Amino acid sequence: MKPIERKDEGGMTLIVKTVTRLTVGLILLFGLYILVHGHHGPGGGFSGGVILALSFIHLMLAFGRKTAAEKFSDRTAGTLLGLGALLFVAIALFGYAGRGFFLNFLPKGDRFAVLSGGIIPLCEAAIYLAVGGGLYTVFSALVSSAQDAEEEP
Amino acid sequence: MSPVYPLCLVLFAVGVYCLAVKRNLIKIVIGIGIMEYAVNLFFVLIGYRLRGRSPIESPDQVVTDMVDPLPQALVLTAIVIGLATTALLVAAAIRLYEKYGTFDITKIRKLRG
Repeated sequence: MKPIERKDEGGMTLIVKTVTRLTVGLILLFGLYILVHGHHGPGGGFSGGVILALSFIHLMLAFGRKTAAEKFSDRTAGTLLGLGALLFVAIALFGYAGRGFFLNFLPKGDRFAVLSGGIIPLCEAAIYLAVGGGLYTVFSALVSSAQDAEEEP
Repeated sequence: MSPVYPLCLVLFAVGVYCLAVKRNLIKIVIGIGIMEYAVNLFFVLIGYRLRGRSPIESPDQVVTDMVDPLPQALVLTAIVIGLATTALLVAAAIRLYEKYGTFDITKIRKLRG
Protein backbone atom coordinates (compact mmCIF):
# COMPACT_ATOMS: atom_id res chain seq x y z
CA MET A 1 0.00 0.00 0.00
CA LYS A 2 1.32 3.41 -0.87
CA PRO A 3 1.19 6.03 1.88
CA ILE A 4 -1.59 8.59 1.92
CA GLU A 5 -0.49 11.70 0.03
CA ARG A 6 0.09 14.80 2.10
CA LYS A 7 -1.25 17.22 -0.51
CA ASP A 8 -4.62 15.63 -1.21
CA GLU A 9 -7.21 18.04 -2.47
CA GLY A 10 -10.61 18.17 -0.86
CA GLY A 11 -11.60 16.75 2.49
CA MET A 12 -11.21 18.38 5.86
CA THR A 13 -8.48 20.52 7.46
CA LEU A 14 -4.84 19.55 7.99
CA ILE A 15 -5.44 18.73 11.68
CA VAL A 16 -8.18 16.23 10.89
CA LYS A 17 -6.11 14.70 8.10
CA THR A 18 -3.02 14.28 10.30
CA VAL A 19 -4.98 12.69 13.14
CA THR A 20 -6.75 10.42 10.67
CA ARG A 21 -3.46 9.29 9.13
CA LEU A 22 -2.18 8.37 12.59
CA THR A 23 -5.31 6.64 13.89
CA VAL A 24 -6.73 4.80 10.89
CA GLY A 25 -4.38 1.83 11.27
CA LEU A 26 -5.02 1.62 15.00
CA ILE A 27 -8.78 1.56 14.45
CA LEU A 28 -8.35 -1.26 11.90
CA LEU A 29 -6.21 -3.17 14.42
CA PHE A 30 -8.81 -2.65 17.15
CA GLY A 31 -11.44 -4.13 14.84
CA LEU A 32 -9.24 -7.21 14.38
CA TYR A 33 -8.80 -7.47 18.18
CA ILE A 34 -12.57 -7.37 18.66
CA LEU A 35 -12.95 -10.08 16.01
CA VAL A 36 -10.29 -12.40 17.45
CA HIS A 37 -11.73 -12.21 20.98
CA GLY A 38 -15.34 -12.54 19.83
CA HIS A 39 -15.99 -16.15 20.81
CA HIS A 40 -14.87 -16.00 24.45
CA GLY A 41 -15.52 -12.40 25.42
CA PRO A 42 -17.35 -9.28 24.38
CA GLY A 43 -17.10 -8.52 20.69
CA GLY A 44 -17.43 -10.69 17.63
CA GLY A 45 -17.77 -10.58 13.89
CA PHE A 46 -20.43 -7.91 13.71
CA SER A 47 -18.74 -5.41 16.02
CA GLY A 48 -15.35 -6.06 14.42
CA GLY A 49 -16.82 -5.66 10.94
CA VAL A 50 -18.45 -2.38 11.87
CA ILE A 51 -15.09 -1.08 13.15
CA LEU A 52 -13.39 -2.27 9.93
CA ALA A 53 -15.94 -0.31 7.89
CA LEU A 54 -15.66 2.69 10.23
CA SER A 55 -11.89 2.94 9.76
CA PHE A 56 -12.34 3.37 6.01
CA ILE A 57 -15.39 5.63 6.48
CA HIS A 58 -13.12 7.74 8.72
CA LEU A 59 -10.63 7.93 5.83
CA MET A 60 -13.43 8.92 3.43
CA LEU A 61 -14.72 11.67 5.72
CA ALA A 62 -11.29 13.19 6.25
CA PHE A 63 -9.73 12.88 2.78
CA GLY A 64 -12.73 12.71 0.48
CA ARG A 65 -14.17 9.89 -1.57
CA LYS A 66 -11.30 9.54 -4.05
CA THR A 67 -8.56 8.75 -1.53
CA ALA A 68 -10.73 6.29 0.32
CA ALA A 69 -11.69 4.59 -2.96
CA GLU A 70 -7.97 4.16 -3.77
CA LYS A 71 -7.43 2.30 -0.48
CA PHE A 72 -10.68 0.35 -0.41
CA SER A 73 -12.75 0.50 -3.55
CA ASP A 74 -16.46 -0.28 -3.76
CA ARG A 75 -15.54 -3.30 -5.83
CA THR A 76 -13.26 -4.71 -3.11
CA ALA A 77 -15.94 -4.05 -0.50
CA GLY A 78 -18.55 -5.82 -2.59
CA THR A 79 -16.19 -8.77 -3.11
CA LEU A 80 -15.57 -8.99 0.65
CA LEU A 81 -19.33 -8.86 1.27
CA GLY A 82 -20.01 -11.74 -1.11
CA LEU A 83 -17.00 -13.71 0.08
CA GLY A 84 -18.09 -13.40 3.72
CA ALA A 85 -21.64 -14.53 3.00
CA LEU A 86 -20.44 -17.48 0.88
CA LEU A 87 -17.87 -18.49 3.54
CA PHE A 88 -20.59 -18.51 6.20
CA VAL A 89 -22.82 -20.76 4.10
CA ALA A 90 -19.84 -22.96 3.20
CA ILE A 91 -18.96 -23.45 6.89
CA ALA A 92 -22.57 -24.32 7.62
CA LEU A 93 -22.80 -26.80 4.73
CA PHE A 94 -19.43 -28.33 5.64
CA GLY A 95 -21.18 -29.79 8.67
CA TYR A 96 -22.87 -32.22 6.31
CA ALA A 97 -19.51 -33.99 5.98
CA GLY A 98 -20.22 -35.14 9.53
CA ARG A 99 -23.69 -35.36 11.02
CA GLY A 100 -25.56 -32.23 9.99
CA PHE A 101 -26.04 -28.54 9.34
CA PHE A 102 -23.73 -26.21 11.32
CA LEU A 103 -21.97 -29.19 12.89
CA ASN A 104 -19.02 -28.03 14.98
CA PHE A 105 -16.50 -30.43 13.44
CA LEU A 106 -13.32 -28.76 14.71
CA PRO A 107 -11.81 -29.51 18.15
CA LYS A 108 -13.40 -27.32 20.81
CA GLY A 109 -10.23 -26.42 22.74
CA ASP A 110 -9.97 -25.02 26.26
CA ARG A 111 -12.47 -22.59 27.69
CA PHE A 112 -11.47 -18.91 27.40
CA ALA A 113 -8.55 -19.73 25.09
CA VAL A 114 -8.18 -17.69 21.89
CA LEU A 115 -8.02 -20.87 19.81
CA SER A 116 -11.22 -22.51 20.98
CA GLY A 117 -14.84 -22.89 20.05
CA GLY A 118 -14.37 -25.00 16.91
CA ILE A 119 -16.05 -23.33 13.92
CA ILE A 120 -17.32 -20.29 15.86
CA PRO A 121 -14.22 -18.11 15.15
CA LEU A 122 -14.43 -19.07 11.46
CA CYS A 123 -18.09 -18.00 11.39
CA GLU A 124 -17.11 -14.77 13.12
CA ALA A 125 -14.45 -14.13 10.47
CA ALA A 126 -17.02 -14.65 7.71
CA ILE A 127 -19.45 -12.26 9.43
CA TYR A 128 -16.57 -9.77 9.86
CA LEU A 129 -15.92 -9.69 6.11
CA ALA A 130 -19.61 -9.50 5.21
CA VAL A 131 -20.50 -6.74 7.67
CA GLY A 132 -17.35 -4.70 6.98
CA GLY A 133 -17.82 -4.85 3.22
CA GLY A 134 -21.58 -4.31 3.43
CA LEU A 135 -21.53 -1.30 5.73
CA TYR A 136 -18.77 0.37 3.71
CA THR A 137 -20.69 -0.27 0.48
CA VAL A 138 -23.87 1.26 1.95
CA PHE A 139 -22.01 4.37 3.16
CA SER A 140 -20.08 4.76 -0.09
CA ALA A 141 -23.25 4.40 -2.18
CA LEU A 142 -25.04 7.04 -0.09
CA VAL A 143 -22.08 9.44 -0.36
CA SER A 144 -21.75 9.00 -4.13
CA SER A 145 -25.49 9.49 -4.77
CA ALA A 146 -25.46 12.62 -2.56
CA GLN A 147 -22.45 13.97 -4.46
CA ASP A 148 -24.17 13.34 -7.79
CA ALA A 149 -27.16 15.31 -6.51
CA GLU A 150 -24.90 18.24 -5.63
CA GLU A 151 -23.14 18.28 -9.00
CA GLU A 152 -26.28 18.52 -11.14
CA PRO A 153 -28.84 20.78 -9.43
CA MET B 1 -43.33 -2.47 37.65
CA SER B 2 -40.27 -0.32 37.57
CA PRO B 3 -40.84 3.45 37.30
CA VAL B 4 -38.37 3.66 34.40
CA TYR B 5 -40.64 1.81 31.98
CA PRO B 6 -42.99 4.81 31.42
CA LEU B 7 -39.92 6.89 30.56
CA CYS B 8 -39.37 4.59 27.58
CA LEU B 9 -42.93 5.40 26.55
CA VAL B 10 -42.12 9.12 26.86
CA LEU B 11 -39.07 8.66 24.62
CA PHE B 12 -41.24 6.75 22.14
CA ALA B 13 -43.77 9.60 22.23
CA VAL B 14 -40.97 12.06 21.40
CA GLY B 15 -40.24 9.96 18.31
CA VAL B 16 -43.92 9.87 17.33
CA TYR B 17 -44.15 13.66 17.79
CA CYS B 18 -41.11 14.12 15.56
CA LEU B 19 -42.62 11.82 12.93
CA ALA B 20 -46.01 13.54 12.97
CA VAL B 21 -45.06 17.22 13.25
CA LYS B 22 -41.71 17.75 11.56
CA ARG B 23 -41.66 18.44 7.85
CA ASN B 24 -38.00 17.84 7.08
CA LEU B 25 -37.40 14.32 5.74
CA ILE B 26 -34.11 13.96 7.62
CA LYS B 27 -35.83 14.91 10.89
CA ILE B 28 -38.50 12.29 10.19
CA VAL B 29 -35.76 9.69 9.76
CA ILE B 30 -34.28 10.83 13.10
CA GLY B 31 -37.75 10.49 14.69
CA ILE B 32 -38.02 6.91 13.48
CA GLY B 33 -34.58 6.29 14.95
CA ILE B 34 -35.68 7.69 18.33
CA MET B 35 -38.73 5.40 18.35
CA GLU B 36 -36.51 2.44 17.51
CA TYR B 37 -34.13 3.19 20.36
CA ALA B 38 -37.00 3.67 22.82
CA VAL B 39 -38.17 0.13 22.08
CA ASN B 40 -34.60 -1.20 22.32
CA LEU B 41 -34.12 0.53 25.68
CA PHE B 42 -37.39 -0.97 26.93
CA PHE B 43 -36.28 -4.49 26.00
CA VAL B 44 -32.90 -4.09 27.68
CA LEU B 45 -34.57 -2.70 30.81
CA ILE B 46 -36.91 -5.72 30.99
CA GLY B 47 -33.86 -7.98 31.27
CA TYR B 48 -32.15 -5.76 33.85
CA ARG B 49 -31.94 -6.59 37.52
CA LEU B 50 -30.89 -4.20 40.24
CA ARG B 51 -27.09 -3.97 40.53
CA GLY B 52 -26.76 -6.78 37.97
CA ARG B 53 -23.48 -7.55 36.25
CA SER B 54 -22.94 -7.75 32.51
CA PRO B 55 -23.62 -11.26 31.20
CA ILE B 56 -20.00 -12.06 30.36
CA GLU B 57 -18.22 -15.06 31.80
CA SER B 58 -14.61 -14.62 32.84
CA PRO B 59 -12.02 -17.28 33.60
CA ASP B 60 -11.26 -16.36 37.21
CA GLN B 61 -14.59 -15.41 38.73
CA VAL B 62 -18.08 -16.81 39.25
CA VAL B 63 -20.79 -14.28 38.46
CA THR B 64 -24.12 -15.05 40.11
CA ASP B 65 -26.05 -11.78 39.58
CA MET B 66 -25.97 -11.45 35.80
CA VAL B 67 -28.61 -9.46 33.94
CA ASP B 68 -30.70 -11.41 31.43
CA PRO B 69 -28.66 -11.74 28.21
CA LEU B 70 -31.62 -12.79 26.01
CA PRO B 71 -33.16 -9.30 25.48
CA GLN B 72 -29.66 -7.97 24.82
CA ALA B 73 -29.15 -10.51 22.02
CA LEU B 74 -32.57 -9.60 20.61
CA VAL B 75 -31.77 -5.88 20.76
CA LEU B 76 -28.44 -6.46 19.02
CA THR B 77 -30.35 -8.01 16.11
CA ALA B 78 -32.88 -5.16 16.21
CA ILE B 79 -30.05 -2.62 16.00
CA VAL B 80 -28.68 -4.33 12.89
CA ILE B 81 -32.10 -4.30 11.24
CA GLY B 82 -32.55 -0.67 12.33
CA LEU B 83 -29.27 0.19 10.62
CA ALA B 84 -30.52 -1.33 7.37
CA THR B 85 -33.90 0.43 7.51
CA THR B 86 -32.22 3.77 8.32
CA ALA B 87 -29.89 3.35 5.34
CA LEU B 88 -32.91 2.62 3.13
CA LEU B 89 -34.80 5.68 4.44
CA VAL B 90 -31.79 7.95 3.93
CA ALA B 91 -31.35 6.60 0.40
CA ALA B 92 -35.01 7.38 -0.34
CA ALA B 93 -34.57 10.88 1.13
CA ILE B 94 -31.51 11.49 -1.07
CA ARG B 95 -33.40 10.36 -4.18
CA LEU B 96 -36.28 12.71 -3.30
CA TYR B 97 -33.79 15.55 -2.80
CA GLU B 98 -32.29 14.82 -6.22
CA LYS B 99 -35.72 14.96 -7.84
CA TYR B 100 -37.31 17.92 -6.03
CA GLY B 101 -34.34 19.86 -4.61
CA THR B 102 -35.85 20.02 -1.11
CA PHE B 103 -36.30 17.94 2.03
CA ASP B 104 -39.60 19.66 2.93
CA ILE B 105 -42.42 17.15 2.52
CA THR B 106 -45.04 19.85 2.01
CA LYS B 107 -43.17 21.05 -1.09
CA ILE B 108 -42.97 17.57 -2.62
CA ARG B 109 -46.39 18.07 -4.14
CA LYS B 110 -46.13 15.73 -7.09
CA LEU B 111 -46.59 12.79 -4.73
CA ARG B 112 -50.21 13.86 -4.20
CA GLY B 113 -52.78 12.10 -6.34
